[in-house]
Amino acid sequence: MTHEILRPHFPWITLVALIVIVGIANPAFFSVSGFVILMADVIPLLIMAIGMTFAIYIGGIDLSIQQLANMVTVMTTVYLAQFGISVALLVVLVGGLFGIISGFVTTRLYVPSFVSTLAIGFIALSIAKWLSNQRALFMDATLRDAHFGWMFGNTMGVPHELVIGLLLAFFAWLLQTRTPFGRALKAVGSGELAAVASGIDVDRVKIFAFGLSGMFAAFAGLMFSVKLSGGDAQLANGFLLLAIVAVLVGGTPLTGGVGGIINTVIGTLIVMVIRAAMVYLEIDATQQQMIFGIVLIVAIALTIDRSKLRSVVK
Amino acid sequence: MIRDIIVKWAPLLVLVFLVLLFPIFEWLEDFRAGKDHIYLLDSRFFSVRNASRIAVAATPGLMVAIGVTFIIIMGSIDLSMEGSVSISAVIFAFAFLALGGTLLSWAWLAIPAAMLVGAGIGFVNGLVHVVFRIPSFMVSLAMGFVGTGLALVLTGGDRIRIEDEVFRSLLTVRWLNFPIMCYVALLALLVAWFIQSHTTLGRNFYAIGGGEELAQASGLNVARIRVLGFALAGVFFALGALMAVGRIGIAETATGNNFMFISIAAVVVGGTALWGGIGGIPNTLVGILIVYVITNGMVVIGLPSWLQDGVLGVLVITAVVLSTSRKSISFVK
Repeated sequence: MTHEILRPHFPWITLVALIVIVGIANPAFFSVSGFVILMADVIPLLIMAIGMTFAIYIGGIDLSIQQLANMVTVMTTVYLAQFGISVALLVVLVGGLFGIISGFVTTRLYVPSFVSTLAIGFIALSIAKWLSNQRALFMDATLRDAHFGWMFGNTMGVPHELVIGLLLAFFAWLLQTRTPFGRALKAVGSGELAAVASGIDVDRVKIFAFGLSGMFAAFAGLMFSVKLSGGDAQLANGFLLLAIVAVLVGGTPLTGGVGGIINTVIGTLIVMVIRAAMVYLEIDATQQQMIFGIVLIVAIALTIDRSKLRSVVK
Repeated sequence: MIRDIIVKWAPLLVLVFLVLLFPIFEWLEDFRAGKDHIYLLDSRFFSVRNASRIAVAATPGLMVAIGVTFIIIMGSIDLSMEGSVSISAVIFAFAFLALGGTLLSWAWLAIPAAMLVGAGIGFVNGLVHVVFRIPSFMVSLAMGFVGTGLALVLTGGDRIRIEDEVFRSLLTVRWLNFPIMCYVALLALLVAWFIQSHTTLGRNFYAIGGGEELAQASGLNVARIRVLGFALAGVFFALGALMAVGRIGIAETATGNNFMFISIAAVVVGGTALWGGIGGIPNTLVGILIVYVITNGMVVIGLPSWLQDGVLGVLVITAVVLSTSRKSISFVK
């Protein structure tokens, strides 16, 4: 019983404990400016993880986000000269469209989301390869700075990407907690049958959730391409694992219905602290994927709601 | 009833259709250019040489797809193949080189060692899935990341070359135009088919896929069978790794790349339902051939290579949609 009461508090307790441990091992970790830089670095991951939160919150998963972000880095690079700053709008819309298609295939065509999103991801990969001619593309530096220089500037010591990330998180949080859509999302995640019985258009809610996931993934891709000044069909590889880890470690279980955006923010910070700790403890970067894979398994085991397992893919 | 028959034979019909389709494009091209071209006979696609090329390309994927077929028949899913293949390949390569570097020495022990590694990862997959009651797709996805990560740690990002001529004869020595690895794969295919249709374990997979509660109530130890299933799948993933290393002579972290999508595509395109209980090893053979006939055929008739991933994506969705009986499902996650 105490376990049940404590469970919602696990994520932030974990975060605080990790920060304290890492801080004791290396007091330099507590420097404010260092911390701000760390947080700014983790923003693209945060944005991707926020999108993924919507997919997991309704009990699904979106395995296409990495490929969508890859495709967007290529699109941004290719169309920057033509569309200028509106390329941001274009890619976010395209990301949302891909998400909506995933949602449609999942709900209306009865394809489990891990297969539908995997397949849609490969369609995105196809487009990325086509647009990029299978090469790494580079942005024109002047164009980039003219249109997207604001993304990575610095005002009074506060990195702009941090502000962007927090604004997007705030927007997502509003959507989740203060709108009818957010309530519907909660209802669908908590129990689809009950949601249907209460007259909620479950399919529409789910399609919209996948659409949001795609839009956030696209925005993360946009930030990648501006930050790294280019596009490539593999640029964002490696972020799928981290995004899933961030959502689950934050306390949104695979079974959906509880948790949410705040949890994902905490989860992303946990990922950030673990990565920072690995640097301080001089753990080789090659071990990162293995470590996060294990963290993922532990996180799922601790957060999953076993009473709801019947409704999840075996 | 008729629908059932169509669904059952559709994958094979699609395969035959595709094999006959690509030569038509070749014929059209030569016809337009005014060259003599007898349909099929003059085709570059429809030739023994190209068939062998397709077979060699498909062999590693076939092994991996066979492994995941057992799991999908149970109604679960295993997404750890990329990591399992990479780590099996890397450990095989290290053991092979450490034990002598040629198949004629004790280095042959590296082959069973790799299969043990695969089985071990599958065993852990199954155990975590059953004991902690975590959905298999998530456990195995995470285990796959661990496998890839471990391979990266072991190799430090380097490629390990296997240059032993005896081992490479898998690819270099041909019997009746086909490299030895195709015959090894055929043998593994027969073993898998035997396990599926002539052993208790194989029948139990179908029992669980058809209805887990019923299987449990009939006295099956469902948890034990699941764990065994994942371990068995791991052995076939390791076989896939061996074939992949045999084909290109290199073991590295990237050896496992793309196997997840290709193997799942092959299984569902072959007509094995993601819901479990339907389909089997012969379907997977047809499925992997469809996948590789399409990728090969697209190259032969000159379509750009970037199209392949997208075509496979559409194909997978179509196959799952067609194989799903809408009446039997209420909700999809």
